[in-house]
Amino acid sequence: MTLLVGALTIGLALALLALGVYLAFRVLDFPDITPDGSITLGAAVSAQLVVSGWNPALATCAGFLAGCVAGAVTGLLHTRLAINGLLSGILVMTALYSVNLHVMGRSNIPLLGARTVPDQLAELCAPLVGRSELNVFGWSVPAHDAAVLLGFLGLAVATALVLLWFLRTRRGTALRACGGNAGMMRALGVDVDRQIVLGLALANGLAATAGALLAQYQGFADVQMGIGMVVWGLASVIIGEALVGGASLGSLLAGALMGSVLFRLMVAIALRFGLDPNDLKIVTATFVLLALVAPRWMRSWKAARGARGAG
Amino acid sequence: MLVLTGLRKTFHAGTPNEVRALDGVSLRLADGEFATVIGTNGSGKSTLLNAVAGTFLCDEGRIELDGAQMGRWPEHKRAALVGRVFQNPLGGTAPQMSIAENMALAARRGLSRGLAPALTKALRAEIAERVASLRMNLESRLDTPIGTLSGGQRQALTLLMATWLKPRLLLLDEHTAALDPKSADQIVRITAEIVARDRLTTLMVTHSMQQAAQLGTRILMMHRGRLAHDLSGDERARTRSDDLLARFDALRRRDQMDEGVAAMLRKQHV
Repeated sequence: MTLLVGALTIGLALALLALGVYLAFRVLDFPDITPDGSITLGAAVSAQLVVSGWNPALATCAGFLAGCVAGAVTGLLHTRLAINGLLSGILVMTALYSVNLHVMGRSNIPLLGARTVPDQLAELCAPLVGRSELNVFGWSVPAHDAAVLLGFLGLAVATALVLLWFLRTRRGTALRACGGNAGMMRALGVDVDRQIVLGLALANGLAATAGALLAQYQGFADVQMGIGMVVWGLASVIIGEALVGGASLGSLLAGALMGSVLFRLMVAIALRFGLDPNDLKIVTATFVLLALVAPRWMRSWKAARGARGAG
Repeated sequence: MLVLTGLRKTFHAGTPNEVRALDGVSLRLADGEFATVIGTNGSGKSTLLNAVAGTFLCDEGRIELDGAQMGRWPEHKRAALVGRVFQNPLGGTAPQMSIAENMALAARRGLSRGLAPALTKALRAEIAERVASLRMNLESRLDTPIGTLSGGQRQALTLLMATWLKPRLLLLDEHTAALDPKSADQIVRITAEIVARDRLTTLMVTHSMQQAAQLGTRILMMHRGRLAHDLSGDERARTRSDDLLARFDALRRRDQMDEGVAAMLRKQHV
């Protein structure tokens, strides 16, 4: 049961990453892989500040801002210097590895004993879950764990709601339209380059926040923790789209959130039943590959069957 | 009033693919004037429109609209004064967004876009009213993604979007060319209605002599990056599509004659 609660909590922390990936890949239609670096940046900045005695909530906000800067740099490389979008992300991600090492001063910062955001959330949610062990379908769950889970749920839902609100404002709708049809938005008086920079800043700010939360939950920040995270986020987004069937903006954001939790849960179960952790990245990559290719195979298979039926 | 002075633009300068697309175009378009621009393929008619819209910057020349020197402005800044409809029906709308959201985007053309909700009740009501004026029964489908509509419907909505805030200049770039004849007629009708109602200063590129003769108060014929003919007033009023075709043939014959003479001279002297 501890395993399950842990998986759900991490899934909710990474839901912010999924929202960021959704914003970059789906809303802006920009294949941004900066989050592989910015998620670690968020973790590094917040961990360093927490250790040096900052309020963990403020430290997490600082992580968000650091992620925004990283995303903005990717955006500026692409728009001002006309560098291919994918390459801009790779450049920034690579550079961030050194930046992260400098921020942390070493490759790993343990947070054991420090007061973290999960502790703050647990205190906040404690009145809701009581002080003793909880009984969920016959399993006992420590009250602290349940409170943290509840707190992360609140945080993820609140973030999704704020994002939904933003994407429906005048500025947010302009941002969405830039992803769909940049030429039209120029004709309507929007500086598309600025929108791309803004969108990528926001997407990486979300990824960095996910990193900050993850580091504080698992009790350490590590310079390697970002590897493969874009693909992870993409997998969550794809699962989310399958869950909600690609309807309105609100349901797609909710889908990304649920997809992240579900994917983390699936991974936890697979690991529990003997999946070698070393194989985790190849399984994730294969999953995303299949999710991208399967619809095309299905179509051509149906077309072939239709043609046979007609002939 | 739109004043163009000596616009020149050469693409791929210094390469074998060098194209002199605009070769000194000067033009004065008075307020409320509706000019159609015709010309052969590659004559520079679409280039002229894109030069005014700011898709690229001209090598030489000045662009003045209502006193504003906008020749060096980026495209999105010019959009505050200029409304545009593209040839491609997919070009003027964001496909995954609803009709209402697309209209709301157009309602802020050239204005600041803050954190107020894009769609308010009042704006929705106004959108429904204006969309209803198209008489296409789209007002009941405001929440439909615009990508599911036909080319004609999208082009009509784009026209509405370009003119939602009255533009100082309306640019129409062969905006019926990609449509079936029936939809094209419909768009021509809506164009004429909107331009007349708002007394819009309009520059419309078209490939159709019929449209050129039927619409507008002035006809500009382009050839090889220059204005070859400029018909207005009584002369414009008397012009039929056959007259335009005759002028085209004359231009083409002159070209052929030029080439013929050049070939003859080469033969005799080389």
